[in-house]
Amino acid sequence: MVNEKRPVDHHLGELLSGFVDGELTQQERQRVTLHCEVCDECRENLTNLRVLRERISNAHLSEVGEDKWRETMNDSSVQTPRSIGWLMFIAGLLAVAGIGLVGFIFSDEIHIGMKLILIAIYGGLATLLYSVLRQRLIERKTDKYKDVEI
Amino acid sequence: MKNHTMRQQLVQLGNGAHALATQILGNADDAADAVHDAFAKVLKKPGAYDANNGPLKPWFLRVVRNHCIDLIRRRRPGDSAVEELSEPGPGPQALLETAQRDRGLQLALAKISDRQRQIIVLRDYMDLSYAEIADALEVAPGTVMSRLHRARLALREELARHG
Repeated sequence: MVNEKRPVDHHLGELLSGFVDGELTQQERQRVTLHCEVCDECRENLTNLRVLRERISNAHLSEVGEDKWRETMNDSSVQTPRSIGWLMFIAGLLAVAGIGLVGFIFSDEIHIGMKLILIAIYGGLATLLYSVLRQRLIERKTDKYKDVEI
Repeated sequence: MKNHTMRQQLVQLGNGAHALATQILGNADDAADAVHDAFAKVLKKPGAYDANNGPLKPWFLRVVRNHCIDLIRRRRPGDSAVEELSEPGPGPQALLETAQRDRGLQLALAKISDRQRQIIVLRDYMDLSYAEIADALEVAPGTVMSRLHRARLALREELARHG
């Protein structure tokens, strides 16, 4: 059987890249395969694209290891300031609340009945605040508008 | 996505993100800072990523790319240091050949356009699909193949000059 080469009307261009990347439909792949059987130029281009792709994928364009990124992520500049800030804020808040509470409970100037009423009011407010915060946190996880571009 | 899982995935994306940032900023140190900043941004607002809208990889690379573009906009004229890209670091003799080959590639990459470098790194170095590239570069999916092909042809031309 004679391998008769048909004249090539036009070359494949970007389809060659799509073929190398496995991004073509079956019909397009078949077209590229058939074309390359008769077109030396496209066949050579296809080989060159494969070589180029392999060369880039094997290159070392970044020499930084994963350990370095892990370290970077745990870097103090990412986490520590925020943690320290929260810790200081909460510690200060608890200290103020604790001093206030002790002073309030052991105060002789306030009647026991009044103390119970005030404890009920502030305890109720604290419970309401907790429930609202909890609800907000749950909503935040399922909020469809949260996908804000960074 | 849980914060711990996200952190693990981000660590794995570090090198690819660094390669992309290096191609945009033209400087490995600036690129490392940019990736660091991107980590900080993402970890500060992990809820900004919605797994229902696609994988983390192209999303994070888009964050890195946008941050690099912001850095370039803020740069003073003359700050760019693409030349540093081509400086080979000290390494064992056994790696010399590879280093020289990579140096040729980096020189050629430095000669093509910024957009062309980005699309080549995303596809050939990071192995993103065309759909993911479109997502990362914020371009129409239908244009990725032609852009990539033109970029490869340009790179091949430069490689012919620089080896």
